[in-house]
Parts: sequence; structure tokens; C-alpha cells
Amino acid sequence: MIFFEFAKRNLARHKFRSVLAIIGIVIGVLAITALGILGNSVQLAVSEQLCMIGNELVVYPYGEEAISEDNFEKIEKVAEAIPVQSMGDKATLNGESTFVMVYGMRSEDIPKLLEKEAGQFLKHGSLNCMVGSRLADNYELRVGERAALQSQKPRIVGVLAERGVGFDINPDNAIIVSDKMFDSMYNTTGYNSVIVKVEKIEDVEGAKEEIEARLNKKEEVVMVMELKMIVEGIKGLFNTISIFLLGIGAISLVVAGVSILNVMMMSTVERTKEIGVMRAIGTSKREILRMFLFESLILGAIGGVIGAILGFGTGFLVDVLILHEASYLFAPSSILYVFVGIAFGVGTSVLSGLYPAWRASNLKPIEALRYE
Amino acid sequence: MNVVELVEVTKVYELPRGSVKALDNVTASIEAGEFISVMGPSGSGKTTFLNIIGCLDTPTGGTVDIGGENINGLDDEALTKIRRDKIGFVFQQFNLIATLTALENIEYPMILKGVNGHEEKSKELVSSVGLEEALGENKPNELSGGEQQRVAIARALANDPDIILADEPTGNLDSKTSKDIMQLLKDTNERGKTIIIVTHDPQVASYTKRTFRLVDGRIDSDGVFL
Repeated sequence: MIFFEFAKRNLARHKFRSVLAIIGIVIGVLAITALGILGNSVQLAVSEQLCMIGNELVVYPYGEEAISEDNFEKIEKVAEAIPVQSMGDKATLNGESTFVMVYGMRSEDIPKLLEKEAGQFLKHGSLNCMVGSRLADNYELRVGERAALQSQKPRIVGVLAERGVGFDINPDNAIIVSDKMFDSMYNTTGYNSVIVKVEKIEDVEGAKEEIEARLNKKEEVVMVMELKMIVEGIKGLFNTISIFLLGIGAISLVVAGVSILNVMMMSTVERTKEIGVMRAIGTSKREILRMFLFESLILGAIGGVIGAILGFGTGFLVDVLILHEASYLFAPSSILYVFVGIAFGVGTSVLSGLYPAWRASNLKPIEALRYE
Repeated sequence: MNVVELVEVTKVYELPRGSVKALDNVTASIEAGEFISVMGPSGSGKTTFLNIIGCLDTPTGGTVDIGGENINGLDDEALTKIRRDKIGFVFQQFNLIATLTALENIEYPMILKGVNGHEEKSKELVSSVGLEEALGENKPNELSGGEQQRVAIARALANDPDIILADEPTGNLDSKTSKDIMQLLKDTNERGKTIIIVTHDPQVASYTKRTFRLVDGRIDSDGVFL
């Protein structure tokens, strides 16, 4: 391919200039790839942590007072409801004293909300307990051992599966006991929260309005939180951050594009006479255009590939240093940014080469020949 | 057969200071195999005359036939093709492509046309213009002026054109080399090529068999160089 060869040799003729143009593209692509991977990794990390139960509502008491039994029954009429009692307390686990969250739940509700990793769920009215996965890991707790809580020493009958940060309850660092056990340990009345599950995600709004209508008739008694909205809000936020990061990368690519435009314009002006000669001896406009586009394509491809490799490396470093987790790097959505980076690099250079190439191909041969 | 047929050709350039008539009602026919020089003072229109025959410029009025084909109204692509296939150009400043070797410069028009065996043909052409084949691997800036002009002539011959157009081909050469180049062009003409040379130099014109003298865009005289 003679015009590809021309492009290569013309770039080699001005090595320093070509290298500078390539460095511009490398930096742009590196920025896009690395920031894209970072944004995506953060998003993945967050989604993994968020317990995404979109069809749940959580009802919290508005003031200091807990949700009364009466009010709970009203909520129950709207949809399936799980009452939750909670209390922060000191527990002794494997001889170590620590602060944990204690949740009191009706035994039959626990499997509806949580999954177990080992052992079994609590039986009705059980005086035993279950522990969260992180708690079990940190204190090397096994099924059959005992925890010390208040004056009680409940036996651990089950370990829960890891659940991540939730907006309803956070069982990973908690001890779960039956409602009966909870009442026997703490002198409280009512519920700290009620988790409402609706059948379909579309019913969330309706259920929320109905609960508010029934309970907040005279005064604000409860707050109803939609998980869907919170989850979506957070995801949206991180999405915005990702786009922002990409935007920064894109700006550096625009700068690189301008530098390519500059290099190519210089090249067309310098080679005006040569273009005139080539046109005179029978090179068509299209062939001149192709030659110049090849030049910008080569600059873009070299810069793009180098930039993407460096960007991937940078993404790896950032993931390891900031997120302490390299696995997000190999997620398809992260790898995608390597190709997005290359594509943008090549695209930017070809786009920047378009005008100079068009200009060169449209030079009048007779005027180009006369150019000194 | 006439390879060039100009009938009442006029070329007017619109310049900011007014319009300039570079060619004024020029009629000329050139037969295949002729060896022609075009002379005249600066601004007499000889380069425009050459550019119109070379399909680098289009006339404002009149008709132009090149190699039996009327070129009036042809688009850029068609004119490019005529330049590639029917015309060979030789320039004062040689105008070889700097990034290509001598051999590649000669091959280039053949590659554009899609000629098979262009490597072999370019080697034949190198020796036919009196250069050693080894010189073919050199870049233009590694060759002397005379060598470069020989390569340029070989390039002009690459696609076996009907006409060779040369604009001051010896303008950048010393007198000894000029004679060699003129002899080469003469030999080329004797092998049957039509050659049209624009020149100031009576020495150059003396090699040719017919001379057009242009004055103010008109053919003032047409005949054997005296």
C-alpha cells in the first residue's frame, strides 16, 4: 500500500514532531482509560456493597419514640411487614469485648430478609442467636459457640451470609436474636424500624403513600424510606462521578487533537510543493486525502495503543492503592475502557487530520507546484 | 495523428488588479513524435500554454484535445487520469518525491496506474536514462542535479505517455550537464515520444525541430528554430 508507506515515511522524516504528537495522544488515552477504569471500579465496588432491594420500604419512627404495636398493625395491613428491634450493645465474643448491633426479629421473619451461610435459623422463641458474617470472621466464631450479651450467654446456631451495607438493616457486624430474647434482655417497647416488602417494584410508591396516609394522619409519626430511590440516587451519583472523570480524560484528548491538527497543518504547508508534484503526475485528490488520513491514523493508533496499555497499568495501580482490590480491573465493563480509550485516541487523531487532509487534497496542483 | 490540438484557446486570470490575458486566441496542433520548444519573454504565457496542454489548468475559452480526447469540461478526476496516463512531466527543480528512492520515484506513476511488474520496468528505465542501477536505491538528496533530472525523465516515461512536457529542464543544471540532459531528451524523442520544452535558453531550443515564440499570449512565430 503505497500511501500507507508514504504516511509512514513522512512521519519518520519528522520523528521528533511525530513523537510529540503521539505523546499527546498517549496522555489523552491514558487519562480516559485510567479514569474510566477507576470510575467503573468505584461503581462496581459500591454496587457490590449496596444491598439492592428495590422493592422494600423502611418505616422509621419520626421522633424519639419507637413505632408502636398499633402502628405496626396498621402498616401490616398495607403489605407484608417485618418489625425490627435494634440496640447497640457490648458483647463478649471469644473472650474479646466489642460493640455490636443487636437486632431482635420474629424468628419467621429472619429467612425472609437474610440468608445463612452456616448452621440454622432461629426457632420460634429461641434463646439462641445468629451472628453476622463479618463478626464471625473477625472473632473466629463457629456454630455451637456462645456469645456473651448482657447477662445472657446465647449459643450461636447460625452464621449469616455476607450482605453488605443495607438501608434496612446491617447484619454483617450484628447479632440477631429472636423477639422474645430481645425483650428479655432490653426493656424497650415498640419497634425501631419496620421493613415493608411489596410484591412488585412498581407498588413501592403506592405502598409508601398508603402508609403515610394511615399513620401520619394527625401528626408525623413515621418516615417512609424507599430503598429504590436511595440505591438509584447513589448509583446516579457514582455514574456522575464516572462521567466527570471521563470528561477530564476527554479534555486532555481534545488538547492532543489540537496538537495533531497543528502537526498535520504544518505538514501540509511544508509539503505543498510535493503535493503539487504528486497531483501533477497523476495522484488523485482521494489518494492525497488517504495519505494524510493514514498519517493521523498511524499517530492515533500508536498513541492509542501505548496510552491504553499505560492507562490499564495506571488503572491497576489506582485500584490496588485506593480500592485495595484488583479484581474490578478485569471486569468486562472495565476492560471496555481500554478499547474506549483506543477508539477515542484513533478517532480524535483521524478527526483532527480530516481538515488538513481535506485541505491538502484540495490544493490546486498548479498553485501547489508554484509554492516555494 | 495530432497529439495536441488547441483551437482558439484563451486563458484569463482574474487578479485583484484586474484581469490578465495569459493566452489570447491560441491555435496550434502538434503531431505525434514532434520535438518542440516554446520560447518567449517572461509573462508571455508559455507556462500557461504548457499547463493547459498538461491538464494542470483549464482554458477560459476555446477547445483543447489531448491524445485525441477533448478535455474541455472534464472533472478533476478525469484530468488527473489523463496526466497520469498520457503525460509525463519534467520540472526545472526535478521535483522528485523526497521520501522515495530513485527507483521508487520511477515506480510511483506505475503504481498509481496499477501497472504490473513495475519494479522490473523501473530498473529498465533507470538504465535507459543512462544511470547505474545501484544509484536507484538512493534518495533524491543523495543524487547530483543531473542524476536527479535523469530520474525525473525516467519517471515521466514510466507510464509510456503520449507527450513529455518539460518546463525549463536545464534551468538548474550546469552547461555540461544541460547538454547531457538535452541529448537524453533528443534520444527519447527519436524513440518516438512527443516532447514539448518551455525554455529561455537558445541552446536548448537548438535541439528541437520546431519552436513556438509567444508574445503577450499569442503565438508570434511557429517554425524551425533559427
